[in-house]
Amino acid sequence: MVLLKPKKLNKLIKNFTINFGPQHPAAHGVLRLLIELSGEVVLNVTPHIGLLHRGTEKLVEYKTYLQALPYFDRLDYVSMMSQEHTYCLVIEKLLNLQIPKRSKFIRTIFSELTRVLNHLLAIGCHAMDVGAMTPMLWVFEEREKLMEFYERVSGARMHSVYFRPGGIIHDIPKGLLNDIFLFINQFRTKLLEIELLLNNNRIWVQRLVNIGIISKIDCQNWGFSGVMLRGSGICWDIRKSEPYEIYSSLKFTIPVGKNGDCYDRYLIRIYEIKQSLVIIEQCLQQIPGGLIKQDNLKIIPPFKNEFKLSMEALIHHFKIYTNGFNVPITEAYLSTEAPKGEFGIYLLSDNSNKPYRCKIRAPGFAHLQALNFMCKYHMIADVVTIIGTQDIVFGEIDR
Amino acid sequence: MFIGFNKINNTVPVLKIEACFNIICIYLKSIILLNIVRVLKYHFKYKFQILTCISGIDYIEHKNRFIITYEILSLKFNNRLRLKIIVNESIAIQSLKLLYLTAIWWEDEIWDMFGIIFLKRNNLIRLLTDYGFQGFPLKKDFPLSGFVDIKYSLITNKIQYNNIELTQNYRIFNYQSPWC
Repeated sequence: MVLLKPKKLNKLIKNFTINFGPQHPAAHGVLRLLIELSGEVVLNVTPHIGLLHRGTEKLVEYKTYLQALPYFDRLDYVSMMSQEHTYCLVIEKLLNLQIPKRSKFIRTIFSELTRVLNHLLAIGCHAMDVGAMTPMLWVFEEREKLMEFYERVSGARMHSVYFRPGGIIHDIPKGLLNDIFLFINQFRTKLLEIELLLNNNRIWVQRLVNIGIISKIDCQNWGFSGVMLRGSGICWDIRKSEPYEIYSSLKFTIPVGKNGDCYDRYLIRIYEIKQSLVIIEQCLQQIPGGLIKQDNLKIIPPFKNEFKLSMEALIHHFKIYTNGFNVPITEAYLSTEAPKGEFGIYLLSDNSNKPYRCKIRAPGFAHLQALNFMCKYHMIADVVTIIGTQDIVFGEIDR
Repeated sequence: MFIGFNKINNTVPVLKIEACFNIICIYLKSIILLNIVRVLKYHFKYKFQILTCISGIDYIEHKNRFIITYEILSLKFNNRLRLKIIVNESIAIQSLKLLYLTAIWWEDEIWDMFGIIFLKRNNLIRLLTDYGFQGFPLKKDFPLSGFVDIKYSLITNKIQYNNIELTQNYRIFNYQSPWC
């Protein structure tokens, strides 16, 4: 009998690669992941993106500034107005436009409503991926109420092209601010219900604590922004550090996490929803009356009743909607605190009515890149948790 | 508003410094990019720890066609800076992978969209375009409609790539008035 030497007993083992395909309920859109596994432990995760690439940056170069605005709604399709907001702010910076105070307040109210919309969906879908199926249904009901505000103000539930360079398109209808106030009052109870279900739930805590921990230095190395940075303890919010609109005069606090795991980020999102409600209430109290459009008729179209009576207003209306306005040769990069992180637009203009180059910096792009780093040595189920906590939406990653 | 200093390269190793809307923009030579960014990242007075984004711009009429723009952010001093390099199609740029890990996908995207090669990157992959796509979409000589038309054929159960056939030429309306 020949005994086999230990060297001959070694076999070559290849890791098992599975395809977490583009069509998957937990893949948050179209995400294709190739996961290399050793047993249940993840060794390597390779994301394949580009399945929702619509060529937005190239298309924007062929459209005038106003015609390119609806593309930005469709980038991050769960928090629509925040990208429109960034685009309008960049154009106003290039043209050196000042917008009236009432416009700024209305924009801030809708920006914060958009933040509530986005965080509700993030928490609801994250909960459903992890296994808690009820919060998603509650969350979608609240989102419907918020989308009713969008519809009242612009006509469209989701992709309202309401923010325009120079302010907003029309003033808010009568009674909307009252209804927003009533919504906030009943919403606090609903948020409390979600918190009661999830916060101290043993399963939720076990699935989220100590998963996807990322340190401060790694966060900065991977270019994180928004909730991902704050979850690891870095106190950075663009609304506080580079304030835009009226954020410098509003009082709100920023939550910062300690451990940098998924549970901290979940708690930060809940706290941010509450802070958004505080901001909206302050805006509701302080909003001034007045016009929402400036007089600059070369860039901002006139009101409807004006151009039906005045020849100059009609000519300006015609020229703005066909030709558009010309922007001198400048460039600007501006970023705002979108609900998912730092959403930035780098806009270059030559002296014409179309942008020369519009580069869109999506927060999810940097977050998804670090998925491999965050998922190492976790299990497959944790990959789903980490995708949910990064709040990935493919519209903005693939553009 | 632009303020430019062109003759600065006698004192500091940069080509040009511009200030635009209270952000400073520095034009660099592509050879010393890595060294300057290393100084900017680690020096105690600058501490630009986050690379926000890398974008490419195509100026098709210029001799050196592309400009690569780096936006960096310093959390400690609440400061942003823009660095620009002017390259053409035959120059390869140093990769910032060793300094900022986030630069990997941004550089991949620039390779995908413009065709610019980065050194020491052994796996520049096509991120956003299709598998097996040829061409570099964001260059100005790539047409908006592309070159191929994709269909799924039910007979062969495969994806078919045909040459694009447009029934009408793509029209660009230019309403700019000649006296404006």
